[in-house]
Amino acid sequence: MRTSEITKRPVVTHQGEDVAQVKDIVFAANGGRVGGFTLAGRGLFSGPKKEALSWESVGSLGADAVMIESEAAFEPHQSVLDRSARSGGSGGDVLGSKVLTDAGTDLGVVVDVVVEVDDDAHTCDVIGYEIEASEALETKGTRLLIPLPATLSASKEFLMVPDSARNFVGRDLAGFGASVAAFRAQLEGGA
Amino acid sequence: MEWWGWLIVVVGVIVILLGLFIGLQARRRRGGVIVGPASGTSTTGVDDAGPGSTP
Repeated sequence: MRTSEITKRPVVTHQGEDVAQVKDIVFAANGGRVGGFTLAGRGLFSGPKKEALSWESVGSLGADAVMIESEAAFEPHQSVLDRSARSGGSGGDVLGSKVLTDAGTDLGVVVDVVVEVDDDAHTCDVIGYEIEASEALETKGTRLLIPLPATLSASKEFLMVPDSARNFVGRDLAGFGASVAAFRAQLEGGA
Repeated sequence: MEWWGWLIVVVGVIVILLGLFIGLQARRRRGGVIVGPASGTSTTGVDDAGPGSTP
């Protein structure tokens, strides 16, 4: 699932109240796990909310809405950010950042992020970036999916990936999960 | 200027300001994907929604 499909999704309580909408997806660089969402109000005149929603408080991430028990699930913005604070994080938005391999090749610019939701384990992990390819991938300007290792490195300027990720690039989400698994297996085998 | 001329000007200004406000709020609601800040540090770019939020 792309994160662009999650942003602006309404947050609805089990009582049926539409209380907010998803603004940002917050994830930890170390482990790539989604820690929660920042929120915005609903309606034309609403801006960002001071509260955020941790992933633990999400009842389910449905196709059309994020379900929560009640508004009591909201917590201060900073506590959700702190929960995702890990070494290697930047605190910045990855959309628009450049993806650089550890061999120093610029692969392109991030236009979206791919996450995988495991309903049984109630986890949501970042597994790849959707990039607008640079010349290095010989398909400049096209959108490609690039798999990520379990541990990510991200500064405000660059998102680092192993050079071997180029061999596992995909074009659509179908089969991308298998590419990510193969890529991570290769990294573990080489480590 | 006639009184209705002033009325049109005032209503026009209100409509423009309202449009700007709605546009600004739509921009502030726009989302992103944030990497959690590094441990033990705080983020910059504080706005109403708190630190680390996209503009």
